[in-house]
Amino acid sequence: MAEARAPQKSLPKINPVDAPFWKGAAKNKFLLQKCQSCGKVQFFPRVACVDCFGELDWIEAKGTGKIHTFTLVRVPRNPAFKEEVPIYYINVILDEGVIIESRLLGDNKEKVKIGDRVKVRYEQTHNPEIKLPCFELAG
Amino acid sequence: MRRKKVCFVGYGSTEYSRKSEESQLGHYATAIRAALNQTGLKKKDIHGLSITTQASPDTAPHVAEQLGFELDWVLNADYGGAGGVGAVRRAADAIECGHLDVALLVGGNSFDRSVAHQRPLEYQRGNFVDVYGYGGPNSLMALIQRLHMENFGTTLEQIGKIAVAQRFNAENNPQALFREPMTMQDYLNSRMISDPIRLFDCVMPCSGAECLILASEEKAKQISDKLVYLVTDAEKVHYQVANMLPEKTTFGMKAVGEKIFAEVKREDIDLFEIYDDYPIAVMIQIEDFGYCKKGDGGKFVDGHDLTYKGDFPVNTGGGELSVGQAGLAGGFLHVVEALRQLRGEADGHQVKKAERALVTGIGWLNYGRNLGTTAALVMERRK
Repeated sequence: MAEARAPQKSLPKINPVDAPFWKGAAKNKFLLQKCQSCGKVQFFPRVACVDCFGELDWIEAKGTGKIHTFTLVRVPRNPAFKEEVPIYYINVILDEGVIIESRLLGDNKEKVKIGDRVKVRYEQTHNPEIKLPCFELAG
Repeated sequence: MRRKKVCFVGYGSTEYSRKSEESQLGHYATAIRAALNQTGLKKKDIHGLSITTQASPDTAPHVAEQLGFELDWVLNADYGGAGGVGAVRRAADAIECGHLDVALLVGGNSFDRSVAHQRPLEYQRGNFVDVYGYGGPNSLMALIQRLHMENFGTTLEQIGKIAVAQRFNAENNPQALFREPMTMQDYLNSRMISDPIRLFDCVMPCSGAECLILASEEKAKQISDKLVYLVTDAEKVHYQVANMLPEKTTFGMKAVGEKIFAEVKREDIDLFEIYDDYPIAVMIQIEDFGYCKKGDGGKFVDGHDLTYKGDFPVNTGGGELSVGQAGLAGGFLHVVEALRQLRGEADGHQVKKAERALVTGIGWLNYGRNLGTTAALVMERRK
């Protein structure tokens, strides 16, 4: 008899707008959008500059930044994450000047404080074509 | 902008329940019947209907067909927690334009298993938030609360004082799910959900519905001698959206408040029905409205009595934190409580001088910032 299927961790439903971002992440690159008209850098991926409505290019970010704020998730929305609590859910200010929502990993994550430097770390998901950009404390 | 001839003439509420399997439509019907009975209006007097819910397929035309309303005006008012104030604003526009003389606005939620109760996650929430194992709205508000505590030295006791005061307000409110007294120790000892958000920072999801009836001044005078006017109202949607480094501890309520207080004086408000999905959200709105400087919300709370007997009465029936959150009816609860107070019908938790109320709604926690929808209104009792 078939076992009841365990809940699966959430994966992005990749769409034409954010496909370049996910292709980049699969190759360990953190891609951001940059406006061709005003030069503003933005995240999450959109169809136009969120400021001047200009057309967009993709640029590669350094993948470094600092902790803006964080929370320790004890009750994840998707129960598939339950085994991993507390999940260190973070907002990072990338050095390019945009806020990224992500997750802090690493053995020393309990030491996290607002303002700590972080660097990106790509995590393989259960879909071989999708990696998630997470972060760990730098240095 | 100042409204001149739009009145609140009636309200109706269902009981709130954590386990009722009453249908969603049944809840709407109960709240609508109560409001119609209060006003003496008949179903055929209603030509405008607005529905605020996350349940599907309860769009307003669907509900109108089910309940038998033939309409000149229909609205889906899902703006998250700002849906109550948002529906009032749009109905007031229609009344001022002369499209309608009476509008009936409903918000609700149920645990009826035959309908879906949540919108699907929006694109960025699904692709860039949920994939990391976040904990829903509790986590997103926790990010905001941590920053407020870090930047301004706000303490848990200051935030907890809001929850404790609201529970005191709920003790004599028969609609409230939580009426037993709560101490500061109870608040501080409550289970951690998404640090620093605790269990007693969170609302209890429940089923129920709220209904409001608005009317033109002319019609209102035929219905009731308790005239409560809409004085002014404003909203801001996606404040700071183009700012990639936004102020996370300032909501769009700052911009809303500038418009509201261009029309009425801050000190002329007698009671505050402030959308309280979390106590920290109440504190931030008090700051945004300019009752104190940004970051001084903790000190402000220390210096005032927030109970219905106090000098700064907040969420006089207990708010969503003590009454319960019946989905998007949460945004209506605050308007209905303000109306009860201004009509002098808040038995057991009546504010002594209740002539003017400020009511807010916030919703749509968004990516990297804070609230997507923020709206407020002022209502006033006139002899």
